[in-house]
Amino acid sequence: MAKEKKSQSGMPLALIVIVLLVVVISGVWLYNSSSTTTTPAANQANQAKPTAVNIPPGASLGVNMIGSPDAAVTIEEFADYQCGACASVHPVLKELQGVYAGNKNFRFVFRHYPLGIAGHDKSFEASVATEAAGLQGKFWQMQDKLFTNQQAWTSNPNYRQMWVEYAGAVGMDVERFKTDIAGIQTKERVEQDMQRGRAMAISSTPTVLINGNPVPFNQLNITTLRQLVDAEIQKATAAKAASDTVAQPASNANSGSASNSASNSNAASNAK
Amino acid sequence: MNDDITAEDDGQSGIKKLPLAAAVVALIGLVDAVYLTVKHLRNEVVPCSLVEGCEKVLSSAYAEIGGIPIAAFGAVAYFLAFSLAVLAAYGNRLTWTLFRVQAALMAAYTLWLLYLQAFVIGAFCQFCLISAATSLTLFIFALFVKIR
Repeated sequence: MAKEKKSQSGMPLALIVIVLLVVVISGVWLYNSSSTTTTPAANQANQAKPTAVNIPPGASLGVNMIGSPDAAVTIEEFADYQCGACASVHPVLKELQGVYAGNKNFRFVFRHYPLGIAGHDKSFEASVATEAAGLQGKFWQMQDKLFTNQQAWTSNPNYRQMWVEYAGAVGMDVERFKTDIAGIQTKERVEQDMQRGRAMAISSTPTVLINGNPVPFNQLNITTLRQLVDAEIQKATAAKAASDTVAQPASNANSGSASNSASNSNAASNAK
Repeated sequence: MNDDITAEDDGQSGIKKLPLAAAVVALIGLVDAVYLTVKHLRNEVVPCSLVEGCEKVLSSAYAEIGGIPIAAFGAVAYFLAFSLAVLAAYGNRLTWTLFRVQAALMAAYTLWLLYLQAFVIGAFCQFCLISAATSLTLFIFALFVKIR
């Protein structure tokens, strides 16, 4: 018996050393691997079916919109003001809006999507506050304040007072701001966006769609977004050029390969 | 304790199955803790989801002690637990005693972390819950399994 034990004494140590090596190596590998590994939420966004921008119900397009109303490329963002990832993506989207400012092919639409999960007790109210700001033409300025100061107000019991200070800082009529927050109109606006989000089965924030196609979270950087937007603009202008040269839409036999935006612009020319 | 279960040798190999099972559970905890450590060190922001929340647990003030992610301490603890259990599976009674003490300490710390998630942070994190499950399982082994 003693002899048998001795012959096995190397086994457990070998096992322990092997496990240690495997764990250290895979840990280092995991740490150095590029962040292309998709998060579960990003996977969901990937699997979500492309949804046409105008189909689901809810808010009319353009309440909180930057850019041209009849632009060929629509960026639509669903976000929650207490979501850290939304705050981290905010500067990127702001930069994107700056890059395409004045481009008649580009528009950016913001949608409120307060998630109602733990720790998001103030998101709905925050959305209402930005809508109240919107009534004074300061929606984007207020949104910027809320996202950049998210850490400060999200855990502060006096967050309402902080919002009032932000409102004053961006040059709003503070008394009117307070009244509008309490009013029904601003709440209805937020609920319209939420309705649309639910109809589109949005399950996480931020969800950013380019012409109805969700962009995975890990691709929400300025380089990738510009590439995607440029590609969509190119597609749209090419389709427009094609429909301009083909005088009669009925003779357009190769419509099988037409992209989404191409068929949209065809529909538009049919309607004329 | 009369209701203790005594780990019996597997007839031929001399390996005790219950401590070996405990080692496997510790291994699961180890993999989970390493994953959490790496995730913390990479400081990745994840989207907020209706189902999973925001992973705000991992970015909370409680996720670090002295700048070191607690997941890293967890990884070390699980590795130690694994090693002790493997040695015990090969018949070392002393390491099993040490394992039992360690598992009790880990379970106590796990309860503290569960309390933090439920009542202080107000959110749970999936992989933290896996760790809680493995450490409490280890504690069950520690409570009821004896080596002779």
